Amino acid sequence: MFTKTFKSHFKKINYRSFFSISLTTLAAFTFAVTAQAQVNGPVNYVIPFGPGGESDISARLQQPFFKEKFGQDLVISYKPGGGGAVGWASLNNLKGDGQTIMGVNLPHIIIKPAQKDVGFTTDNITSFYMFHFTPDALVVTADSPYKSLQDLIDAAKKKPGAVTLSGSGKASANHLAQIKFDKMAGIKTTYVPFKGTGAAVTALLGKQVKAEWGYTTVGAKQGKAVRLLAVAMEERHPLFPNVPTFKELGYDMVGGAYRGMALPSSASESTRKAWSKMVGEINNDPAFQKKMLDGGFAMLDIDYGNMDAFMKERVKEYISDARAAGLIK
Amino acid sequence: MDASNFLNALTPFNMMLALFGVVAGTVIGSIPGLTATMAVAVLVPITFSMEPASALILLGAIYTGAIYGGAYAAILLNTPGTPSAIATTFDGYPMAKRGDGDLAVAIACFASVAGGLVGALGLLFLAPPLSKVALAFGPVEYFWLSIFGLSLIASLSQGNLLKGLVGGAFGLILSTVGIAEISADVRLTFGSQTMIAGFEVVGALIGLYCIPVLINLAAVPDRHLKVESEVGSLRILEAAKVTLKSKFNLIRSSVIGTVVGILPGAGGSVAGLVAYSEAKRTARPEQRFGEGEPDGIIATEASNNATVGGGFIPTLVLGIPGTPPDAVILGALLIQGVRTGPTLFEGGGSIVYTFIYGLIIATVLMLPTGLLIGRYAYKTIITIPKAVLVPTVGFMTIIGTFAIRNSISDVIIMICLGVFGWLISRFGFAASPIVLGLILGPIAEQGFVQSWIIGSATDNLWGMFFGRPISLVIVAFTILSLTYPLIVKRRMQNKKSPTDLKAE
Amino acid sequence: MNEQLHTKNKKDIGSLIVASFFIFVAVMTFYDTTQYSDLDSKVFPRACAIVLLIFSVLTIVWEFTKPSSSEGFGNGYWWRRIVLVVTMLIACVAMPYITFLPAGMIAFAGGLIAAMHDRWSRRTLLLYWGSGLVIIIAFYAIFHYVLHVPLP
Repeated sequence: MFTKTFKSHFKKINYRSFFSISLTTLAAFTFAVTAQAQVNGPVNYVIPFGPGGESDISARLQQPFFKEKFGQDLVISYKPGGGGAVGWASLNNLKGDGQTIMGVNLPHIIIKPAQKDVGFTTDNITSFYMFHFTPDALVVTADSPYKSLQDLIDAAKKKPGAVTLSGSGKASANHLAQIKFDKMAGIKTTYVPFKGTGAAVTALLGKQVKAEWGYTTVGAKQGKAVRLLAVAMEERHPLFPNVPTFKELGYDMVGGAYRGMALPSSASESTRKAWSKMVGEINNDPAFQKKMLDGGFAMLDIDYGNMDAFMKERVKEYISDARAAGLIK
Repeated sequence: MDASNFLNALTPFNMMLALFGVVAGTVIGSIPGLTATMAVAVLVPITFSMEPASALILLGAIYTGAIYGGAYAAILLNTPGTPSAIATTFDGYPMAKRGDGDLAVAIACFASVAGGLVGALGLLFLAPPLSKVALAFGPVEYFWLSIFGLSLIASLSQGNLLKGLVGGAFGLILSTVGIAEISADVRLTFGSQTMIAGFEVVGALIGLYCIPVLINLAAVPDRHLKVESEVGSLRILEAAKVTLKSKFNLIRSSVIGTVVGILPGAGGSVAGLVAYSEAKRTARPEQRFGEGEPDGIIATEASNNATVGGGFIPTLVLGIPGTPPDAVILGALLIQGVRTGPTLFEGGGSIVYTFIYGLIIATVLMLPTGLLIGRYAYKTIITIPKAVLVPTVGFMTIIGTFAIRNSISDVIIMICLGVFGWLISRFGFAASPIVLGLILGPIAEQGFVQSWIIGSATDNLWGMFFGRPISLVIVAFTILSLTYPLIVKRRMQNKKSPTDLKAE
Repeated sequence: MNEQLHTKNKKDIGSLIVASFFIFVAVMTFYDTTQYSDLDSKVFPRACAIVLLIFSVLTIVWEFTKPSSSEGFGNGYWWRRIVLVVTMLIACVAMPYITFLPAGMIAFAGGLIAAMHDRWSRRTLLLYWGSGLVIIIAFYAIFHYVLHVPLP
């Protein structure tokens, strides 16, 4: 395997500029060529959702860095439908030459196929990198009577079911968070599913619902219009130093929606590794990190080598959560 | 908002961008399958290296151009180039068929420019207060809005109301096929993997509207459109006169478009339908909507272009995209490092105001370019031999439908749906009610389910559906629209003239 | 007179067939909704199915009492309609195997043959097929290189 890729690089170097290269620069050069050898022309980056969501925005943030680092356009296209299922069901029919990649989201690719036959399974999606996650957050409007998480819990205890919470879709990260937190706090709230985070936030700002199960990104985008009651992270998000984590408040909730990228299953091992490396390089760029954090995202670096272990862990976690919530049998 | 922002918008570079954007948008929008969303999405990377205001001007110009461009295919081929132009087909195509295609294209241009300006002026002067409209609309209001849209079926299918209602219900069912959008079920796929993706709206539109036209064109040797006037002129003066005469319709439709554009859950297609419905309701007795009435085009085109400015209001003020292309533009803004929100209008105002002036300039530029491109499009369609026109349009439907989400099954569904639509249209089941159901179905369903959940949770189900002022207004308008055919009938019985007999 | 009666009958049968088909759709939809796990996804399609059923039945009743004046299939060549649609479908089904350009040409050729009502002359032969080739390649170029649509 290794020799094969090495040979192909060797060929490239050979015809480029063999003479002037000493052994050390050869090694450095190989690095640069690895990336370039994998993308010939613009890359089609399919987002299995409509525009404007977290998946779209994080992909758009990657776009200029990809162009700058690897000299090729990252062309984003949308293939919405069925909460992403339409896109993922088509993934393995695409060409595996590394010119087409697709965004993947957790828990979607785990829970959807566990519920119903949706045209793909978790195992046949070849994710090669998970590059960020959006931590769950409980969001209220700035003028909400709920000043703290405890206020909301008290209100829900006083009148079970009367606290309405918007969120994006059913059996989604938001929905799971709602069910999980209800159990932990021993309360009953009403979850109102909306089409996407944008619609869920609009419902919150319009006071159609009392609070929203969203992500930290909502706080970043809406700024002073909203207040985060708590975030489901291990430590506080740098953008919201005053917002406590659920852990601090005594609820063991850490999680959210994870996002990454996948290749069609026909992609060769070397293509997968090369892509993992390229996305990793973007992820390591401090300028990119700053843009992501400013947007309320939390960085994550699960490369191709660690993907199997990571996915195994998440599958276990989400399936047991969803089962406890009664979303799957 | 001072003069310097206006001057910034007037730099040669920005003017060039506005011009380029409008032209590119118009051309892209005129091709069925290539929507405004796609036009904007494709061009976002180009804007990375620009100033934020310039980038916005380019994207806004493309967007407004594409919405206008959708009218060409609607008028000349009975196929909405973008979903916003659905209602343009109702009267545009009949006009083109009887030889007034040139007039229709010119009217569409005037109406689009006027609507675009009203929307942009709303954005310029009233953005922060108007953005509250976006928040005032909750699930119930969307539910009633969709019902209002569906009530158009009644007036669209006069004389064949039952068949129209059957089509509408069928369209609503079609809209639920596939993985449910907000709940978690797979519906009506009957085990087929292809159907999981559901019916893609744009593809379905192309199929239902365009394929029947092609089938009819191929079957008989007659010309595609009747040509009366001399080829070359676009009857601009006549169009200007007609448009000006309907100034009330023009303004009302533009305002409807601006307001519907603000609503994040609706878009240009809903705006066009609502405005059309209103124009039809308030029509004079001698006006024959659906048979080539210029006011139908004016209503639709003014309102759908007004959604451009309207849609930017929640996008820029609240960070909530008003329409799908706005969502793409919002993403582009984030990359530029521009934070949207009320402060954008106060603190960093210069970008916004430069952009708004740019949008206005682009809209004005649409007048000459639109008439020019329109003339060319009209000329091409009427001079091209039918034997070439049919395969060319057929080929465009295939490539256009494919491009929407790169799916060949969508294309096959498009063709099959088109053949089905053609077959049933032969027996009085029109395509438009099905399309209305397909477009409004998701809005109706989500609005209903959410209202139901919230209403049950707060023990106020009745108050939820019938106790909110905005919903009551919409309900009132719906009832007005529904009873409209009866009123017309009575009016006609009162004074029966020979020309009115046909409608019965 | 006789002929008129005949065509009128035919039209009615068409409407009846279409309405019956929609009744079938309504029943299938209703049946499908019985299998959903989530009440939220059940309400809407079920309501629509009931509405569709009612109006379809009413349509049938109406057709019997007051036959409509729909157009029927009218004049025109069936083979042209069929050639147009079938070649488009063949092109789509074959596209993943034979790539986009040849498939596009099949669809175009079908449409051209279907819509060509005049006699072929050498000039039209050359001009029409030539312009077809140009149109297909131009569109392919725009979609592939400018819009980056991954055509098969």
